[in-house]
Amino acid sequence: MSESTGLVAGEPTRAGRVRVVLHRLLGAIFVIWATASITFGVQSLLPGDRAELMINAAAGTFTQPTAAELAAVNAKYGFDRPFWEQYLHYIGGVLQGDLGESYQSHRPVAELIAGQIAPTLALTLSALALAWAIAIAVTVFSGGRDGPVARAFGGFQVIKAVAPPYWIGTILLVVFSIHLRWVPVEGGGGLQGLILPSLALAIPLSGFIGQIIRAEFGRVLEQPFVTSARMRGMGNLAVRLRHVLRHAVLPGITLSGWALGSLFSGAAVIETVFARPGIGGLLVTGTATRDIPLVTGIIIASAAAYVIANLIVDLLYPIIDPRLKQS
Amino acid sequence: MTRPVRRLAVRSIPAAMALALAASAAAAGEPRQGGIIRYGHYQEPPCLYTGWVQAGYIQRQYADNLVARDNDGNIVPWLATSWTVSNDNLTYTFRIKPDVKFTDGTVLDANAILYNFNRWLSDDPAKANRNAKLYVAEYIRQISAPDPLTLKIELSKPYQPLLTVLATYFFGILSPTALEKGQEAICEKPIGSGPFYVDEWKRGQYVVLKRNPDYNSAPATAKHQGPAHVDGIVWKFLKDNTLRYGSLQSGESDAIYDVPAVYWAEAQKNYTIIQDITGGTPTRLQLNTARPPFDDVRVRQAFAHVSDRRKAVEVATHGSIPYNGNGSLSQSSPEHVGALHDSYPYDPAAANRLLDEAGWSARDRNGVRQKDGKPLTVRLLYAGGSLLSADATLVLQILQDQARDVGFEVVLKPIPQADWFAGKGRTVDDYEAQPAYWVASSAEILKISWRPDEGGVINANNASRFQPPELWKLIETADRTFDDAERLKLYQDAQRLIVNNAAVVGLFPLTFTIAAQPKLRDVWISSPVSEPVFHDAWFEE
Repeated sequence: MSESTGLVAGEPTRAGRVRVVLHRLLGAIFVIWATASITFGVQSLLPGDRAELMINAAAGTFTQPTAAELAAVNAKYGFDRPFWEQYLHYIGGVLQGDLGESYQSHRPVAELIAGQIAPTLALTLSALALAWAIAIAVTVFSGGRDGPVARAFGGFQVIKAVAPPYWIGTILLVVFSIHLRWVPVEGGGGLQGLILPSLALAIPLSGFIGQIIRAEFGRVLEQPFVTSARMRGMGNLAVRLRHVLRHAVLPGITLSGWALGSLFSGAAVIETVFARPGIGGLLVTGTATRDIPLVTGIIIASAAAYVIANLIVDLLYPIIDPRLKQS
Repeated sequence: MTRPVRRLAVRSIPAAMALALAASAAAAGEPRQGGIIRYGHYQEPPCLYTGWVQAGYIQRQYADNLVARDNDGNIVPWLATSWTVSNDNLTYTFRIKPDVKFTDGTVLDANAILYNFNRWLSDDPAKANRNAKLYVAEYIRQISAPDPLTLKIELSKPYQPLLTVLATYFFGILSPTALEKGQEAICEKPIGSGPFYVDEWKRGQYVVLKRNPDYNSAPATAKHQGPAHVDGIVWKFLKDNTLRYGSLQSGESDAIYDVPAVYWAEAQKNYTIIQDITGGTPTRLQLNTARPPFDDVRVRQAFAHVSDRRKAVEVATHGSIPYNGNGSLSQSSPEHVGALHDSYPYDPAAANRLLDEAGWSARDRNGVRQKDGKPLTVRLLYAGGSLLSADATLVLQILQDQARDVGFEVVLKPIPQADWFAGKGRTVDDYEAQPAYWVASSAEILKISWRPDEGGVINANNASRFQPPELWKLIETADRTFDDAERLKLYQDAQRLIVNNAAVVGLFPLTFTIAAQPKLRDVWISSPVSEPVFHDAWFEE
């Protein structure tokens, strides 16, 4: 979604801006529609009988239900109707903001998601902020330097980037909660409970962001305007913070739109490790019983979060880089 | 050939607690009142009232049953204070305990119980109780409430396990007023007459159960009558093993479900460990007798000999779960035949001999046996999660490894739980072996597992596809035999027939384990299917 920065090309007239926003909005609607359709379609067309699954998953059995039992479920949920009819019915509902009712918990999906989205948003946003803080701190300290310490930091970035959050999460849990007792094992929904889970997600992400802004940082350090700033007598740290960083973070910001999407999927695992509420846990339960409305609803919500994040990134560009405004 | 089984065992008592025990015995103190039990469970059910055993564990806290089953298999009073059975074994008449109310104030009488039965047996998928129907539907002729304190169940044919089955969690009685509110309300806040009631469900985190101050319907198996000693339970869902055990270590939980195998030895030292071996079908491999190579009994027997299953279970579970070589019945079921645990010891020589006899004598260059150009491949299909734990998967890997030496190529094929429930990939041509268990109290499970296909309906629980008429005759006759010795013999003959034909290869029983802080006393695990009971629990100080 952030393939173009939209505002760059548009002429700075009002009509132009409206057109760009409309274009973006249409794109967003397309992405959400496509996500909803694919998720719904794939799940509905997967082999295996949906009515049989519903009956067995609820009762924890794997007996073949009788024809009458299957017929009753098929009629109730409309599984006996042609696929396109089921699809139109579902999409029609989504258009009206109705995501359907969960097969297993029999509650409206929108309600289930609304009840769990806040902790997931808190987790992903704090993880993103933390990842940036770590990446910036490491880059400002070591970027563009070529000593053994700087190289060690560079290597550290790579290690962080490839470490799976599940593994990091378990280590953080064992060290800081179980052995050192600095934070409770069960964080629950509170602020204290946010520390380790967001750290577990932030560490690998900070590696990615750090790798990207570090490369850019080194390039910008060699630009003439940096030299002229130094000649004006500016201190090294001030140069790094005020001039170089501002340029170096740009590619990292583009990455953040994508990162938010990946944090959403990472949250599913981390929420389980730390027994946190959130849509990740909901998704795991939904997938285990192929609860189609629930799973599709969560995927739609995640796609919406992804689209919004990228929209924000696009809008942030001109603020960070004023050159974009004047073009 | 049964041997007495200590079904429920307090596996260890920490030294400090042993002293405390002596002290409290001297003082003969009453259980202390108050406190809230913070219990860390594993799986969160999507709905609090379904037939699934994971919901059943919670249901045991808020609902009562008609009768209870003690750990020796005796049926004792619960909501029914007494009952009579007619001479033809077709009519059961129950006297219902007077003055019992559901926690929403609705009267619990014979009519309320009748309402529940009608609902369970209904054809409406929103009401039907699948487990209940599987066991009793074919026998029920009529159920009635001649007066508010009398319930009459009339059967069309005798069914001896009826009372045992009625003691199981999925026959828990709920308030008709609450049931009328529809599926969503029942899932969120089911209402029974139990020692606790569901106060709040914080999805993804916990269920708050509060003490029912008017509780007057404890089963005869309970350690005390009247309301619970504690004020309530916070029933937490802590799915990650490290986190769940960590929460016990840090004191954030008073009790947890299932100690991870790696912590088993340490937990024995520091906590009270209560373990119940669940009855019914143990986790065992069902060998597909309907297609080659396992259509030949010699190949099945060879497969049973290829692996040191006893050792594999011990290693994989760090000794936390016993071996159950008799694949037809769990060792905690009173009818189980103990000698069948040793039917197929680890014996590669015997396995090689049987395979040679069966014509699988050629080997390809990887050492896999062949017959008519086809390799001796066993596709072993299994679903993970709560159906088969990580420890259990390790047992399968050990088996796979040892089977290779004898010339079996075992291919482990994990499939998603959803596919498993949907019946996908489990048709007769999709596998050679499938592990599964099914909780029950005793031999009444044989009917579920071994009922032959009938009128085009395939019994998917019989993944062995083993259905000789003489087996069904034994089981069906046993189920309607009221002479204890005679019935026992029939059930045991059925087990011998199953195991001697190697239709299944036993691994280990399902267990329910609780690790508790030593100050939490009198938590126990109830028959028939290992339900935790907190009604008698109290905190020592």
